[in-house]
Amino acid sequence: MVDSTSQVCRVILLPVGLRGEIPQGSNLLEGARRLGVELESICGGRQTCGKCQIVVEEGHFPKHAITSAGSHLSPIEGREATYWEKRGSNGRRLACAAQALGDLLITVPEESQARKQIIAKAATQRTIEVQPAVRQLYVECDKASLDDPRGDWERLQAALARQWNLTGFSIDPLVLTTLQPALREGKSAVTVSLWQDAEVLRVQPGYAEGVYGLAIDVGSTTVAAHLCDLRTGRLLATEAMMNPQVRFGEDLMSRVSYGMMEPDGVSRMHQAIIQALNELTEKAARAAGISAKDILDVVLVGNSVMHHLTLGIDPVELGGAPFALAISGPLDLKARDMGLTAIHSTARVHLLPCIAGQNGADNMAVLLAEAPHEQDHMMLIVDIGTNAEILLGDRQQVLAASSPTGPAFEGAQITHGQRAAPGAIERVRISAENLELKFKLIGCNDEWIDDSTPAKATGICGSGIIEAIAEMFLAGIIDRDGRFVEAAAQRCWRVRFNGRTGEFILAKPNQTASGAPIVITQNDVRSVQLAKAALYAGVKLLMGRRGVDSVDQVLLAGAFGSFISPQHAMVLGLIPDCDLDKVTAVGNAAGDGARIALLNRQRRSEAAELARQVNYVSIAIEPRFQEEFVAAMALPHAVDLFPHLNQLLPGSLRQPHKERARRRLNLVKSR
Amino acid sequence: MSEELDITELETSELLEIMHDCLYDGMAEDVVAGVKELLRRSMSPYDTLTQGLVAGMDIVGADFRDGILFVPEVLMAAKAMKAGMAILRPLLAETGAPTIGTMVIGTVKGDIHDIGKNLVTMMMEGAGFKVVDLGINNDADKFIQAVREHQTDILGMSALLTTTMPYMKVVIQALKEAGLRDKVIVLVGGAPVNAAFAEAIQADAYCRDASVAVQTAKKLVAEKRNQVMVG
Repeated sequence: MVDSTSQVCRVILLPVGLRGEIPQGSNLLEGARRLGVELESICGGRQTCGKCQIVVEEGHFPKHAITSAGSHLSPIEGREATYWEKRGSNGRRLACAAQALGDLLITVPEESQARKQIIAKAATQRTIEVQPAVRQLYVECDKASLDDPRGDWERLQAALARQWNLTGFSIDPLVLTTLQPALREGKSAVTVSLWQDAEVLRVQPGYAEGVYGLAIDVGSTTVAAHLCDLRTGRLLATEAMMNPQVRFGEDLMSRVSYGMMEPDGVSRMHQAIIQALNELTEKAARAAGISAKDILDVVLVGNSVMHHLTLGIDPVELGGAPFALAISGPLDLKARDMGLTAIHSTARVHLLPCIAGQNGADNMAVLLAEAPHEQDHMMLIVDIGTNAEILLGDRQQVLAASSPTGPAFEGAQITHGQRAAPGAIERVRISAENLELKFKLIGCNDEWIDDSTPAKATGICGSGIIEAIAEMFLAGIIDRDGRFVEAAAQRCWRVRFNGRTGEFILAKPNQTASGAPIVITQNDVRSVQLAKAALYAGVKLLMGRRGVDSVDQVLLAGAFGSFISPQHAMVLGLIPDCDLDKVTAVGNAAGDGARIALLNRQRRSEAAELARQVNYVSIAIEPRFQEEFVAAMALPHAVDLFPHLNQLLPGSLRQPHKERARRRLNLVKSR
Repeated sequence: MSEELDITELETSELLEIMHDCLYDGMAEDVVAGVKELLRRSMSPYDTLTQGLVAGMDIVGADFRDGILFVPEVLMAAKAMKAGMAILRPLLAETGAPTIGTMVIGTVKGDIHDIGKNLVTMMMEGAGFKVVDLGINNDADKFIQAVREHQTDILGMSALLTTTMPYMKVVIQALKEAGLRDKVIVLVGGAPVNAAFAEAIQADAYCRDASVAVQTAKKLVAEKRNQVMVG
């Protein structure tokens, strides 16, 4: 028998047409990835989400010179069998459950292809006082002579003291190798790039201009870099890419877990992000038309797990209580020590401090950008991800928390949920009078698609889920408890009951890419209720701690925040009542905060100070958390009122939720 | 209740049905009144528990499983159940009524999210189990000590994070080393947990939600007792 490990299977993936060989017995999801085809996978290969469906073509294909058969995959069993039992497989397989045993010609259906996401991380306009950590100084040194036994470095020190009144600085040893050629070429005149007035990073001959910096936000899904001219403060380029660590785990805890389970997991994730940062740097430099080697300063922000992985620190302790950080304070490092080789060899890296194990440097950057600590009014900032990060406060005190919202808003745990990508339903409107529905798809010219229009919807993204459920509630399809209303089935064909459990048809078969309807099920509504209740409860606990019963302003930070409709978020009870005009998306505030710290060195010390002053509240162990969580599950809330929604909510919903009276008797009758 | 009813005039079967409705709607005072009335009619504490309360909670459990009821409603129902139990518990002890079983439950080390676990606790109590709740962040020693201390039929572990879930395996290993593994039924649950994981760590079952936990617990305890009787 041939050693099976040495055998390979030839695989061709359509429609992209990528081909290659993968070892026999390797997992198909992994294999496709190795061949360059990313399949949609929300569960990270746990055979749960059913997003990585593929079709194996049967027969001999002379064009590709292979014979492909379904039997060239490991048989359907276990969880995959359970998955298809409920739905009928139609000849499809879950790539994550299948091992390649022979040659395969595979078709990847449209909805299974992971596509480039819409990246909203564009730096917004903010006034930043330019006072960078690295500046260039032109200086004329004494010429070397037989009468002067000093070294050139000493002559440079003396000149900087004389002409710029600077003392007590050092020089990166690597610069010493270029010092003399620079001085001779410039006829003793050089331009020095000085970091924090403390260290010489570069010496260029004669007069030179051009020193650049990068502000980078390492998000768990997207990494964004802003390239700035450090002298003018001008933003020259913003580039973003997917975080390559996504392949090791979709959410943060999956990645921590990958590091726990895989022997080289942490180092693999570390190397992946460092390589990505180098690529992103090159990309940004190209876009700005500069040399990446002129980049001398970098400010990095990211959540605690990203922060640790970028530094090569095992984030295992961030995976469970007490969520201990290896370091919470700010860090100043050499780029070369981190492996950031695309930029100048002596470049500096600054990492903003982390607030707590579950409230990282990214939230610190948000704090810096939005400055609640400088406000006279009560400001609430929420950044919604798998963990929602919350900031609440004003001039007197700022509180921070993080709340386990789970991945529902990212489309996971939702029957037809998906990430924000072309084809996803992102906007939904339901007429309360006749229950007519229209929706918008990402990448379809912002046009409303109504009942009569065919379309190719692939799923629902987070903003679509929020709007759909809020609209279903306003239209009376689901009640305040989140339950499908039986009577709605008589009013509208879109509402149907499987036994006693309702679901809502959002897109008809001729409006979807798969030809099967896109629905919102009772369980989907429940998942969203849990997620929004976790966020609202976190906010309420901070409000309680701060002694306020309302907020004056709500800022939605992060990529997701840019797409949420404030009104629908409030109808759902995701955020507390507030004047709707005062609820705004602030885009990638973390990236902006990083840019502020890049361009202004004072703000770095301010951040270090702020991180110590912010009061972090661990809400999961607050005694009132469960009570708040449960009360926040109703739409919009069981107790709290939303006077700013009075125009929208039917009269009966403007009062606190009354006790249910004998619902079951009604149910029994309807059964 | 919305309308005033004189429950002393009702047939017992009607009274039971109304109690089930009151449980369903989480009306603790009415449940207590119903329990007192049944006892006044000389129903045994055990029958009052099973026919009045447990049967009512079964309906709540089924509707929770089907998504018709959700966490807030179930918590209210469980609270009403608890109010009724407060009256029955001392009486049950006095009369030496049979117990359905005892469960030790807690979230595992590193995990501080306990709402799911609290729900299981309440539903299990609703089904008549005695539940010893160890709270959050429990290491293997704490679980083992509690299993020893109480006449434990079931050990329940919960984890909300992918990263804390592996600790369940540590606890099961420790149970084996302590010679307790065969003595208890191990049930696991929590957002990242699934049946394959439960099988891999050699737990007895994965329970998707509180309602499934109750059903599984009932089934496995009954099987275990049958085995003991046969064996």
